[in-house]
Order: sequence, then structure tokens, then C-alpha cells
Amino acid sequence: MTNTYGRFALVRTGQAVVVVLLAYILTFLVISVLPGDAITNSLRDPQHGLSEADIQRIVAYYGLDQPVLVQLVLSLGRFLTGQLGFSLQSNLPVAQLVGDALPSTLTLAFTAFVIALVFAVAIAYGAHYAPGRWAGVLRSIPSFFLSVPNFVIGLVLIELFAFRLHSFTTTDPNSAAATLFAAITLAIPVSAPLAEVLLASLDHESRQDYAQVARSRGLTEAALFARHLVKPSALPSVAMIALIVGELLGGSVITETIFGRDGIGTVVQKAVTGEDQPVLQAVVAISAVVFVAVNLAADLLTPLLDPRVKINETVDA
Amino acid sequence: MHATEFKRRAFLAGFSAISATALLTACGGPAATGTPADGGTPVDGGNITFLIQGYDTGWVSSKTSISSYEGNLWGQLTDKLVYVDANGALSPWVAESWEELNGAKDFVIHLKDGVTFSDGTPLDAAAVVANLQAWAKGDPERGISKVGLFPASNYVGAEAADAKTVKVSFSSPALGFIATLAYHGCILLSPETLALPAEAQADLSQEIGSGPFVLKSWKQGDSYVLAKRPDYNWGPAALGHTGPARLDTITYKVIKDTSVRTSTVASGQADVAFNVEPQEIEALKAAGFTVGTPKYLGFVDGFQVNTQAFPTNDVSVRQAIQHGIDREEIRSTVYTPDWDAATTFIQGNVPEAGDYSSSFAFDPDKAGKLLDDAGWKTGSDGYRTKDGKTLEFPLTPNPYVPSTKAEDELIAQQLKRIGIKVTLKVVDVAGYAAIQASRPPLFQTSRSFVDVGTVAGVLTSQNKGEDWFNVGTSDTRLNELSAAVASASDRASREKVTGELQQYVLEQGYFIPLNQLVQRLYLISPKVRDVQYNGLAYANFYTAWIAK
Repeated sequence: MTNTYGRFALVRTGQAVVVVLLAYILTFLVISVLPGDAITNSLRDPQHGLSEADIQRIVAYYGLDQPVLVQLVLSLGRFLTGQLGFSLQSNLPVAQLVGDALPSTLTLAFTAFVIALVFAVAIAYGAHYAPGRWAGVLRSIPSFFLSVPNFVIGLVLIELFAFRLHSFTTTDPNSAAATLFAAITLAIPVSAPLAEVLLASLDHESRQDYAQVARSRGLTEAALFARHLVKPSALPSVAMIALIVGELLGGSVITETIFGRDGIGTVVQKAVTGEDQPVLQAVVAISAVVFVAVNLAADLLTPLLDPRVKINETVDA
Repeated sequence: MHATEFKRRAFLAGFSAISATALLTACGGPAATGTPADGGTPVDGGNITFLIQGYDTGWVSSKTSISSYEGNLWGQLTDKLVYVDANGALSPWVAESWEELNGAKDFVIHLKDGVTFSDGTPLDAAAVVANLQAWAKGDPERGISKVGLFPASNYVGAEAADAKTVKVSFSSPALGFIATLAYHGCILLSPETLALPAEAQADLSQEIGSGPFVLKSWKQGDSYVLAKRPDYNWGPAALGHTGPARLDTITYKVIKDTSVRTSTVASGQADVAFNVEPQEIEALKAAGFTVGTPKYLGFVDGFQVNTQAFPTNDVSVRQAIQHGIDREEIRSTVYTPDWDAATTFIQGNVPEAGDYSSSFAFDPDKAGKLLDDAGWKTGSDGYRTKDGKTLEFPLTPNPYVPSTKAEDELIAQQLKRIGIKVTLKVVDVAGYAAIQASRPPLFQTSRSFVDVGTVAGVLTSQNKGEDWFNVGTSDTRLNELSAAVASASDRASREKVTGELQQYVLEQGYFIPLNQLVQRLYLISPKVRDVQYNGLAYANFYTAWIAK
């Protein structure tokens, strides 16, 4: 077991490193294919009235006139030696831009994750145990949550709680109250698939023999849920964590924009529209590392948590 | 992705309109009491919050001082040598007076006494020479560009005659030089700041200016707090105020979403919002808010026409487009009465702007006749053809002015009525550069200038000009008029020949004007008074104050 697990862990870690590198290279190439570059785009603004020759001199300073592959090798070299470089848009250090934005996004994502978890458990529990019609209503909530766009939820919450009830001000988006409402906005679509998976496995597990046996021993449904059903029902949800992390990162763009938070989402959005390659590369690399690390942790933990999961000798991709 | 974005926009527009109206009713705000600005006795003190969509391009001055966003903040932190008012009139600022000598080839600038940068160093002749050098040449070795509109091609150099006097010389007449000193690109910074590499200039706290406000704290992409400079006493006399600014602080806060910015000011949680949707202006005004729609000096919103491309190589087609566009419909549909109709291809506040509106008056019958006479026959699908070719061209809205998309959609419908097929091609800022390089039949432009001499520099290929209409040297009349504007050494003769140039360009259909351009909009709370706008349409808060 240990030997097999060791090799499994090694191969999975190796794959993770390859995925991060591929994400880095792919992003670089995609941005390079787009017309223009960060410097040209900002200096070509007709308001500047700069001549093409003037612009080209500045473009050359930033090395953006070199072949894409040369730029890629230089960029990758800097990345591997831990240099994130400077933003082409603002000339500020990428580490500063990302470092300033990261805490805001992490706070938002973590709060949203906790809220999503609470929503999901409440919906799944309610839908599983509620009588007749109520169960139907509760079971339809996840699809409702998924179908309402993020920005609609955000705008409605802002209108209601900021402008009418004055629970928070839009000019101070990092306050606790503003963060809570931004997190709810982000949590709603994230909680939906989580609730569905949880509910499905709850339905499945409660029909199993061991549940019937427990019931016959006189256990109440609540005790059964708490003692026997929660753990096996949660396993499929753990596998979803990686997807959820992706959704939290992706959803943060819209949530941050609407709530006026300066986070990773807005940094990415600005970097994409401005073709700010150094910033984008850094964020993609960080996101890929986080994403892959969470996946890796889930992969490596599952065989340890669930004895039913066997490691296949020929590790699949 | 595009579809969702589109739906999102539509939703936001609707939502924000509803919410703004609801809020205004809910707040019971000040009922329409005429003009809320410019009333009462100014008081000192108070703080305002200014909401803006973003500060993405940072703080390297030569790169961002002309930006609609960063430019707003630069205007409070820095001064200029010359002030230009909303009508294009020049007046002293840090330059107390100036002399134009030797047929506008030499200039002497006399500086105001006692002006200092916020670090205490004097803003003297040496500092001005360092700034002139940076505007004219930039420093490509450090990745720092020159200031685009500065007359650099004939700039010889500048020297400090004494601590308060600067001599500047040019190799040929530079009538536009003094006006350029009032341009938003020409902000005065400490020579120490200018000597820094780009990466250090990106740090706003290292940008040392002499303006009425200084930076107190900032978090890039989030918020910027400016505090008044107590010893400031050299504002432009034209603003009618001396001594320090009246406000204690201005906080620039980034809120990207337009509907949230608007509603935040409407609900009283902030005082000024930059760029609100034109459709909301009427409701906001009715509720007592001030909406500033200042115009800047420059070209109007419109199209430069490629005379070598199909189908605009046919003068009849150009003239038909000129008369086939209903600009009044654009103004009433896309904009509000705050937008002015164009009378020529330059903005109405440029002193040399004339009224040539008859040469592009809406007249669909005339447009149709021009095309008929030129042999363009209407086919069964309603579009005209000639020699087997359909009368069609693509149109790309100007991404630097988002409202041009709605404009161009309307133009496509209008031109369809006279048998011209227009296909819209929407691109982002990056794609727009490629469009420009491909020289399409019509290219939508938005270009500011502070001196009409700039016009001569872009219309033809003379003096490395931009040759907007792709005529090269083939059109001798255009080249003669353009050369006469460029080489004029006195303003009266230049004004006359500029008028002839405007009429000729419009009659030939070289430039197709739409309406006068408003690129910066300010939604202002009724309690904020005496905000002033310069000729580049930037709000100046030096004189602003808060009514109790």
C-alpha cells in the first residue's frame, strides 16, 4: 500500500507541475495572438497624438517587438526564478498589484465558501426531510440559484441593503457588512451544485441497508443524519471542492466589479482588456497552482479517507 | 460571452434607470431648484468622494496625463504654465506672462514668483526647462514617451535666462506652442520626479507636483485620498479664486460599474460620479443634481474618409453620406440636448471653428440624387450597385467613445434608406488599432488639440503628417490650405485660411462630422458648488465648496 501510494503521489504531483507550466505557456501564446500589445494599445489612443515611430520606440524598450518565442522563453525564465516583473499598463511591480489584491479576494472567497456550505447543507437537509410540497420547493432551489445571473443578485442586494436599508455603503466595499453581501452574491451560485450533489447522495445513502438497520435500532432521523449519513454523503462533495474553488475565483470577477472591490478578479479583468501580459501570467500561474494544489490534495486525501477507493496500478491521467 | 455581456449591459441600463428614479423619489432629494451650482457664499472645509471607473494605466505622467481617468487626478495634483478656459481662451497660470518673438519662432516665458513643488523645492526656470525637455523628447531609453501634441518636430530647445525667465526656440513658426502649455499632457512635475525611471514614476507618492492638492494616501486600483495644500496661492486668475483650495480632501474611489456609481451618488453616499449613462441625465437633473457635460477643444465626433478605398474613392458617395446622415436623430436618440450639433469638423469652442453646417445638412433627396447621377442604381434588395459592385462598406465604432456603437447602428439604418449597405464591425481598443492600420473607407476618430495648428499636421502627408484622407500630394488645394495653416505666423491670417480649409474638407466629403463630442461627464451632488471646467473638459475642484 505505502509503495503504491508513494508512486501514485509522485506521479500526481508531477502531473500537477506539468499542468501549471502548460497553463502558463498557453496563456502567453493566447495573449500574443491577440492584436496589439499593452503599450501600443494605450499609446495609440487618438488623444495622445503620438506618431507610429514614437510608439515603436517605447514598444522596443519593453521588448515587445521581439519574436513571441523569445518573449516566452524570457518570461518563463523570469517566472521560474521567482521574478514577476512589472505591469505593462501601470509600470507597478506585479507582486505589489497581486499582493494588494489577494487578501481581499481570499476573504471574499473564504466567506463565500462558508456561506455556500451552510446554504447547501440547509437546502439538502431541508429537501430530504421536508414533507411533500415543501420538499418539491426546496428541491427546485438549486436550479433557481444556478439560473439567476451573479450580477443580478449583486445589484439587487446592493439596491436593497446599501441604498434602502443602509446596511453598508458602496464606497467602503471592504467593510465587514459589504464583504458579507458580496460573499452571499458569490455563494448563491456556488451552493447550488453542492446542494444537489449533497441531496442526491443523502437520498442514496438513506436507502442503504446500514441506514435501515440504524432506523430499526430506533435512531431518530436527525440522529441518523448526524451520526451515519453526513460522512458518506459528503464524500462526493469533497471531490467537487476543486470545481468550487474554480467557480469562486471565476465568479469573483463579476462580484468584485459590482461591489467595487479591488481583488484578483478585477486585476485579471484589467490585465485581459489591457493585454497586460506580466500581470496576467502571474495571476494565471498563481491560480493554476492553487487549483492544481487543491485538486492534488483532494486526490491524495481520498484514498486515505475512503477505504473503498483503490489505487489503480496504472495511474490514470 | 458577447451575448451575456450584451444582456448584462441592457439589464444594467434598465435596472439603473429604475433604481436611480426610485432612489431620487425615495430620498425626496432637493426638488428642481434651478441651477444648484454657483449660488451662495463659498465656505471652506469639507470632503468629497469622487467615483470613477478605474485607474488602470497608472502614474507615469507622459503615458497617463491625457487619460480621461488619470487626467482627473493629475489636474488636482499639478499645475500648468498656461490656463485654457472652456472657450479656448488662454490666460496666465504658473507663467505670469509670455512674449512671442521672431515670427513665433522664439518665446520668452516669465514665471510667477514663489511657486513651489509640494516637497518645498522651487518651481523655477530650471524646473520648467526640465519639463519642456520631457514633453518634447520623452526618454525612450527609460521607456518614457514624449507628449504627443507637443510641437517637437521644430523644437530647438529651452534655456533658463534667469531663475524666473525661460527662453524657448523653434526652427519654424510655432503659433500653437503657448496653447500647448495649457494642454492636459503638459503638467509640471518636479525635475527629481522626471529623472526617475518609469517603474519609480509609477509610484504616485513619488510624483511631486505644485497643485492645490497633494496625495495623502493611495491604494492602486482602489482609492486615492488628496488633501489641500495650505500654502497654495498660485491658481489661474481666470478661476476667480486665490489662496488654497476650499475643500479639505477629495477621495477618488474606484467603482467600475456605471449603474452602481450613479446610484451611489443619487443615494447621497458619494458626491461626484464620472461618466454616467447619457439616458439618465434628464432624470438626475430633474432631481436637482448637476450634470456637467463640458466640451473639449479638438475634432468633433466623426469619420475621417479614405479617398483611395472603395466606395469612398467616389466623391458622390462621400457627399451622399455627408447628406444622408440625420445627425439630429442621433442627437435625440443616443444623446440629450446637452450635446451640441456640429457646425464643422472641429468643436464649437475652438476659436477658429466656423459654421459650415450647410455642406453636411441632412437632405436624403439630395443624397439620393447625387448617387443617381453618379450611376448608382437601386437593386431589388434596396441597395445600390454600379458595375456589378454593391455600394457597401464596414463601420467600426470608436471603442474610446462607447456611445459611438449606438450611433453607428443608427447610421447604418439611415444610410440604408438611401441605398448604402453598412455592416457594423465592433472591436475593442486593441482591435481598433488594427482597423486604423487597415485604412477602412470610414474611420471614426476622437482627437483633442489645444491649438488649431494641429489640424494642419494630420490632414495631409506634409511634414510627416498623418494623411487622414489618404490623398497624399494628389490634392494640391488641400495641401496648399494645410501648409498655409501650418506656416502662418499670425493668428488673423491663420483663422481666415483655417475657415477655407474647413469648408473645402467638408464639401469634398473628406471628413464626415456627426455631433460635438462629450467625452467626460460629471454627475455632481447638489451640495457641491462651483466646480469649473477647463478647455479640455476636466473638472477642477480648486474653487469647489460644499453648501451646508
